[in-house]
Amino acid sequence: MKNLRFGQFAGLALVGSLALAGCGSDDNSGSGGATGGAGDVACFEGTLNAEGSSAQKNAFEEAAATYNEMCPGATVNYNPTGSGTGIKQFIAGQVDFAGSDSALKTEEKDGIVETDAAAETCGSPAWNIPMVTGPIAISYNLPGVDDLTLTPDVAAEIFDGKITTWNDPKIAAVNAGVELPATDIKVFFRSDESGTTENFTKYLKAAGGDAWSYDPAKAWPASGEGKEKSSGVSEGVKSTEGGVTYVEWSYAKDNDLGIAKIDNGGGAVELTGETVGKAVEAAASDGEGNDLRLTLDYATQEAGAYPILLVTYEIVCSQYADAETATKVKAFLTHMASPEVQQGLEEIGYAPLPSSVEEKVTTAIDAIS
Amino acid sequence: MSSAQVDHAAAPPAAGVPTPSAFGEKSGGRAVKDVTARVVMWLAFGIAVVPLVWILGSTLVKGGHMLVDSVWWTNSQSGITSRRVGGGAVHAIQGTLIQAAVTAAMSVPVGVLTAVYLVEYGRGRLARTVSFMVDILTGIPSIVAGLFIYALWVTTLGFQRVAFAVTLALAMLMIPTIVRSTEEMLKLVPNELREASYALGVPKWKTIMKIVVPTAFSGIVTGVLLGLARVMGETAPLIILGPYTKVIATDLFDGLMATLPTMINQDRTEALQPALDRVWGASLTLILLVFMLNLLGRFVGRFSKVKG
Repeated sequence: MKNLRFGQFAGLALVGSLALAGCGSDDNSGSGGATGGAGDVACFEGTLNAEGSSAQKNAFEEAAATYNEMCPGATVNYNPTGSGTGIKQFIAGQVDFAGSDSALKTEEKDGIVETDAAAETCGSPAWNIPMVTGPIAISYNLPGVDDLTLTPDVAAEIFDGKITTWNDPKIAAVNAGVELPATDIKVFFRSDESGTTENFTKYLKAAGGDAWSYDPAKAWPASGEGKEKSSGVSEGVKSTEGGVTYVEWSYAKDNDLGIAKIDNGGGAVELTGETVGKAVEAAASDGEGNDLRLTLDYATQEAGAYPILLVTYEIVCSQYADAETATKVKAFLTHMASPEVQQGLEEIGYAPLPSSVEEKVTTAIDAIS
Repeated sequence: MSSAQVDHAAAPPAAGVPTPSAFGEKSGGRAVKDVTARVVMWLAFGIAVVPLVWILGSTLVKGGHMLVDSVWWTNSQSGITSRRVGGGAVHAIQGTLIQAAVTAAMSVPVGVLTAVYLVEYGRGRLARTVSFMVDILTGIPSIVAGLFIYALWVTTLGFQRVAFAVTLALAMLMIPTIVRSTEEMLKLVPNELREASYALGVPKWKTIMKIVVPTAFSGIVTGVLLGLARVMGETAPLIILGPYTKVIATDLFDGLMATLPTMINQDRTEALQPALDRVWGASLTLILLVFMLNLLGRFVGRFSKVKG
């Protein structure tokens, strides 16, 4: 009899999990409203797996959720492990495509050339397709100051701790007509390694010139007060008068922080979806054909282009070994690049792709086979 | 046992009874030592309890309201984003249970039989080697187990990351703990029982099957359940081998399967309240699951003791 006991437990566990499986439901569509108007979305049945950059996680989730609403049989998974890991998993053939903050590297690093390795996995060239643009806001907390403009060298000196009060003549010089308080400047930076820090220091280096002496890095090189993650720095600024930081647009918006206009030399530019789009449009494309790798010009002086941003890519095979995978990738990316989804992204702190880039992106997606 | 010792140390020497010479007169210095030791002990206990209560308290406060909603137990996260409230954890709960069950199905026979070998049969060099290997396996960090299976399953064999690979890594972690706990339990079985069985002419295998293992059964089950509780909360191999998905999945060999630890990991860095609530909810659910397994382990241990 005793020997039966373990079997009983195993049986119990099995029945238990089966019972759970029985009543579990994937249907979260609420009161069953949002089904109509599926439009011309191509649906697939099954699962699509992607992995990579955490910067585009929320945009991806949003696109996946809306896609799932229209195509209930389709599941799109995104695993935000970071750009580097995403590319590695893509090269290892573990995911259908990767999300990355930077295009595949063409020169050798750690013994592999990413473009070549990815092409070998795909059996065809891998393409970088820009999909989500994430602006970085210089956010501040100065009650009474709704309108603040910064030039790259002033920003560099502020973030380097050389300018210490908000009424410094250098700040006043670029903010004619704004009454600046004598509050001390308190710089908050990301204490964890971050792509946001890397892009922001890239901007300061490229546009700030001599005022910024550090090399771009994922770890903050200058002084200030470190806080963990975007939530930490935005919280820090929110609770500190005179605080300033660099943070993704969505966090600045969610926390109601002041967002500085940037004047690269072509006039003060406010951070909006449109101004970011203009900068993306102006970015030079140095890929071939449908490989749309962009080189951002951080020092751009074009009027109305907001220069501090990062572009995240989807990295795909130009020709999938499995035709079914190609159909799935195409269907989902077409949805993600569509104006409806892109416009919706502005609400959650991303900027939509400008129409000229979107056109190229759509062409590239259509060419996937 | 310990209370008896404390009483002895604290009790004033009874009048009329000569103090035992072995302990000598109770001097002031000894009393101070006694009190100091007691205070230190209580302090250590207090320090150990604080984080426990704190963790339980904050997960209950921050995640409790998620579990009250019945949707939590019936729905997955399909179609829910970090910004949206709603959805449940049934996909993750189910994934964790399925993986735990499969892990147990693989580890229990191997672990128990290895322990039987070590206690009943193993002599000489082979047994020493096995025992040594089990010791080494016990000390393997879980991330190494995960990476090892990744190297084997993905890099060498070229398969996809699937739930079955996760259970392989978890089994690697679970087998040594089962071997060790079962070994201890089998060693506790009095030799007289075996000898009596042999004296009646029962063959060795039957003695093990009918006498030794049943005698140690409750201890073995307790060990298995505690080992299971441990691997259920294991995260490192899951992050490497079992990426998160928001939908219900039951296929061990195809596609991704969500688990509670990966569900927690997914939104851990998120600042948005709906996502944070889910993280706390999933944490509390995992704690409850492990807690129930522990309770079950104790229950089995208490009520299935061999009498006499």
